[in-house]
Amino acid sequence: MSVAQALFLIFFGAAAVWFGIVVFRTHSMVRSAIALLFSQTAVGAMFLVMQAEFLGVLQIMMMATEMSVMAIFMVMFMMDPGGMGKMDMTHQKRLSLWAGGIGLVAALAVIWGAGWTGPVPPVPGAAEQAAALGRELLGRSMFIFEAAALMILTAMVAATMVAIAPREEDD
Amino acid sequence: MIPELMIALSIGAALFGIGLYGALSQTNLVMIIMGVELVLSAALLNMVAFWRYLHPDVTAAKMYVLIVMAVMAVEMTVGFGIAVARFRSRGSVEMEEARELKG
Amino acid sequence: MTLAIILFALALGCYLIAVLEDWAVHGRLDPLRPAVSALALLGREQVLPRKSDRLFFEVGPVLLLVAGLLAVAVIPLAPGLIVTDLATGALFLNAALAYVLVALIMAGWGPNGAYAMIGGWRFLGQFVAYAMLIVMTITAVAMRAESLSTTEIVTSQAALWNVFYQPIGFVLFVIAAMGLAWLPPIDLPTGGGDLAGGVEAEYTGARLAVLRLARLVIVLALASATATFYLGGWLGPWLPAWAWTAAKTLAVAAAMLFLGRHLPRLREARYLAVSWKLGIPLALANIILVGVIALVVPI
Repeated sequence: MSVAQALFLIFFGAAAVWFGIVVFRTHSMVRSAIALLFSQTAVGAMFLVMQAEFLGVLQIMMMATEMSVMAIFMVMFMMDPGGMGKMDMTHQKRLSLWAGGIGLVAALAVIWGAGWTGPVPPVPGAAEQAAALGRELLGRSMFIFEAAALMILTAMVAATMVAIAPREEDD
Repeated sequence: MIPELMIALSIGAALFGIGLYGALSQTNLVMIIMGVELVLSAALLNMVAFWRYLHPDVTAAKMYVLIVMAVMAVEMTVGFGIAVARFRSRGSVEMEEARELKG
Repeated sequence: MTLAIILFALALGCYLIAVLEDWAVHGRLDPLRPAVSALALLGREQVLPRKSDRLFFEVGPVLLLVAGLLAVAVIPLAPGLIVTDLATGALFLNAALAYVLVALIMAGWGPNGAYAMIGGWRFLGQFVAYAMLIVMTITAVAMRAESLSTTEIVTSQAALWNVFYQPIGFVLFVIAAMGLAWLPPIDLPTGGGDLAGGVEAEYTGARLAVLRLARLVIVLALASATATFYLGGWLGPWLPAWAWTAAKTLAVAAAMLFLGRHLPRLREARYLAVSWKLGIPLALANIILVGVIALVVPI
């Protein structure tokens, strides 16, 4: 079980990283958004491998729609969404590479330096997990849950307000 | 030493690195948002991995994952709202051209 | 063994739905017609549009098929006859069907044709109009069953089918399912009248055959999901369990295929307006109503 889990984690992880790289390598913006979608789907599949069934399915479902919305905004706002002109859309490349590389190395150093010990405790079944999550959301963490709902509402209103077309004055 | 945890966290680190590179190097607002999404998904991956291999009995960890998913959606909404407003007033969302706030 | 039976049932179901659709469209019952059409499609020339996004063009129909198959995987045919009885089956169905949207966007963007692209993006524009209705009505169903597992949802309807318990949810779910499977009168991504085939316009030959097959699988998945969530799945007297599921699925599919043909095609803006302003509040009311009934009346 454990070896199979590790192998599946490596497989889906490699897929996630590969699609993540494709996002910034391709010239076609729609391809870029769909690559991000498949990267997130691979992350969702990793959740499923790690037996977080509800979260994995939720991630796979939410990302499909979020990244499709991303794709249409790409088409709306880019000069060359199909990537036919092979435009260069990057700046400060050296700095970004260094920042990304340093971030990666630092995170890896912390991960491999810290001594994660101990036997892995057993995981409750998927149905119990979903039930426990529901109790958590509507019990101890209800206030945070409500705050998140308010946050989404505020963001919806704010985004609509910002994006709405300014009305011409009649007079 | 828990090998699966190490694998999951390393992949999270790789996604974080790629996302950071993307967010810094892209000139278009929408592409920058994509970089930030990658960084957030790395955070999600780490949280699920910690939950699974260190504290599978703590449900609050999964609740936190839900909150981060909500943050991802909110970040996209607000980002695109700003993008629409900027595109309407300036005709592009290229960040090289956004210098109004530069002192 | 289970998988083989389910695959056989799936193939048979798709064929029967194809026969039904042919009957609904052309008004004559011809059991051999789909086979002949499929052979004809496979034999035809496969045109590749110029300057197409080849990857998306090829992957779109296949992804559509995969999404449909994954959705079918959580639908029980009889007790024990299910590919995977996930604890989050009802949510998984949504997740699989969300990829119908992705596949249509890819298939619409790929061939570099105006009508196809409009069809694909139009499906994205309608997304909230159908997806919210499906998710919210499934929420009400899961509330009564106190589980997201599809088999538990079926067994929870032993006393009273959900179609009588939550009729508002049933109607909304069927309408949203028709939107998701782009059946008339809301076949907007492929609308014959204004888009000349839309997403299907640029596909020919074997690729079109895959696209049509995938569409049949999605219709079958949604019809069987309706039977599972609202018509009591395999529950019923006299007949064996699988026969009840099959009969209910085909009845729902026939209703979805035949009824819409007699209505004029909805305009996109009108569909969105009705769905947002009427459908979503009704779905929310349905959730509250089911919650109150579940608390007050023990059925």
